[in-house]
Amino acid sequence: MRSGISVTTSPPDDSTPAVEASATASATASATAELAARMAELAGADSWSADFGNAKVRVDRARWVEAVTAVRDGAGLAFFSFLSAIDWSNEVAVGEPLDETVEERYEILVRLSSGKTNDSVTLSTDLPKDDARLPTISGVFGGANWHEREAAEMFGIEFEGHPNLNKLYLTDEFEGHPLRKSYPLLSREVKPWPGMVDVEDMPSTENPEADAGGGQQDDSPPPTADRAEGDES
Amino acid sequence: MSQPLDPMAAAHVSEVAVSVELQTPGMTINIGPQHPSTHGVLRLVAELDGERIVNVEPVIGYMHRGYEKLSEVRTYPQINALVNRIDWVSGFSNEIPFMVAVERLMEIEVPERAQYIRLILTELVRISNHLVFLSSYPLELGASTPLMHALREREHVLELIEGVTGGRFHPNFNRIGGVKPAAGGGSTQKKLAQDLPKGFLAETRAAMDRVFGICDDLDTLVMGNEIFHARTKGVAIVPPDLALEYGVSGPNLRGSGVAFDLRKHENYLPYDKFDFDVAVGENGDCFDRYYVRHEEVRQAARIVNQAIDDIPTGPLQAKVPRVIKVPKGETYVRAENPKGEMGYYVVSDGGRIPYRLKIRSASFSNLSILPWALKGLLVPDIIALLGSLDFVLGDVDR
Repeated sequence: MRSGISVTTSPPDDSTPAVEASATASATASATAELAARMAELAGADSWSADFGNAKVRVDRARWVEAVTAVRDGAGLAFFSFLSAIDWSNEVAVGEPLDETVEERYEILVRLSSGKTNDSVTLSTDLPKDDARLPTISGVFGGANWHEREAAEMFGIEFEGHPNLNKLYLTDEFEGHPLRKSYPLLSREVKPWPGMVDVEDMPSTENPEADAGGGQQDDSPPPTADRAEGDES
Repeated sequence: MSQPLDPMAAAHVSEVAVSVELQTPGMTINIGPQHPSTHGVLRLVAELDGERIVNVEPVIGYMHRGYEKLSEVRTYPQINALVNRIDWVSGFSNEIPFMVAVERLMEIEVPERAQYIRLILTELVRISNHLVFLSSYPLELGASTPLMHALREREHVLELIEGVTGGRFHPNFNRIGGVKPAAGGGSTQKKLAQDLPKGFLAETRAAMDRVFGICDDLDTLVMGNEIFHARTKGVAIVPPDLALEYGVSGPNLRGSGVAFDLRKHENYLPYDKFDFDVAVGENGDCFDRYYVRHEEVRQAARIVNQAIDDIPTGPLQAKVPRVIKVPKGETYVRAENPKGEMGYYVVSDGGRIPYRLKIRSASFSNLSILPWALKGLLVPDIIALLGSLDFVLGDVDR
């Protein structure tokens, strides 16, 4: 194995398992949709989705604790996987902004699973940015305690009734909420991209075509030309 | 034991009651963050009543590297190198759920051979991870011999991984749509698909024989050891319903008697083609958590042997665009990693960079059981429980 001389050649495989695969894929998709619909009914939710194998149920903020409890008790999803949040924001301090305008909000996600089957569902609720408060579910799932502390420090969400909403990862003196899209990544402020060499541009890179192709080159990392990929010629 | 917790109150009580019986005031001690048995930088603030633990507050975050924020400025292929380092004892398996999540969003069908190579490497990493645990845990409890034996065999497994990927711990071997051509694969001519290194299958078989051998050795060295039994049996019992509620997963969950293994339920790799058993404990004590991992090594070696027997031929890579842009959508993919359930919630808005990447790491939830599980135990049991949870601080803090 360390000689590195010989090669196992692999002839292209042109048998036809693709049809079978897509059939199982659609069966899985409908099972996910069925699960999502069932969970939505339990949670008393307005809407659900089942894209990409992700059964997701949107519940109203006022019914949050009720919905989580109902899914746990009604469907036996007793395994607490995680709780986290998404900052839906039209302006970002770092990274690439969204293509289309979204409603500004925090979306809280909770993933619950079964300890017996592969049933697994994402519950989500929206919080307005100026009123980012949500009742805690650490009374329903003890494991939510740390996850809520993390979401609280990272996104600045207040979990009402939480027994101990202290900082978890960050130091007590830390100011700001790092995973908010408005929070800059300091190392990128100092230097846009660490791989970038700090020298004057070579004459050849100054031609307008390269600039037009580059787009917003300053703040975004370079696209990786992954040589192993898509190389069929 | 219901002693007063407040030191002042306790001192007061001891003054008046000194003639009746000796009162021990409560005491708070700091363990860590630099303590050898905490596997990194974990600090525990323990309230003690004599030798008994009243309460423990873990203080984490010393290793926090902000991967979720960093992912906001990394393209998908770059993130693969990043997530490698979350749980550094089993680097390769961190990549799998992320890759599968991206491939699911891009609707890429990964070639079967690539899936088999992923599966073989995942199981090799599981063996390597568990061998570290199986030998370092007795070390924490005072037995140093198993470490030497198990790490010797682990080295053979790491050599196999290195032979294929070029890296012992951080392979960064997966590519979106398949795997990278092997490091020892030789010729770079385009027409020759570079594949597993020469002799890989035979060497793997030999290494698996050695793994079975070390499992038998550990059986007699550790599992049958009376002192080991005394330190672990009936210690730090985690009941199954509590384990589920706290999101304790993987071997820790199975040690509590819940027969749940994502390899049997999720189709992130073709595990359904192989015959293997899920080891389950009975009592949820430290011994059962040890036993489950011990048995998992054998089962992983069984899977590897079956996989190298019928590894199919075919391409290593599905056709993917040169610049990876992931269609708009979100998904969650989880995998049975050596530490437990590792998952990625990927939110894409159609660009080269994920809009949000939530990393669900196993050790974080596994460790959150500590304050509950340690209550009422003796101080030496802290080490017994910490070791048996098999966490890595990089996986806790991300």
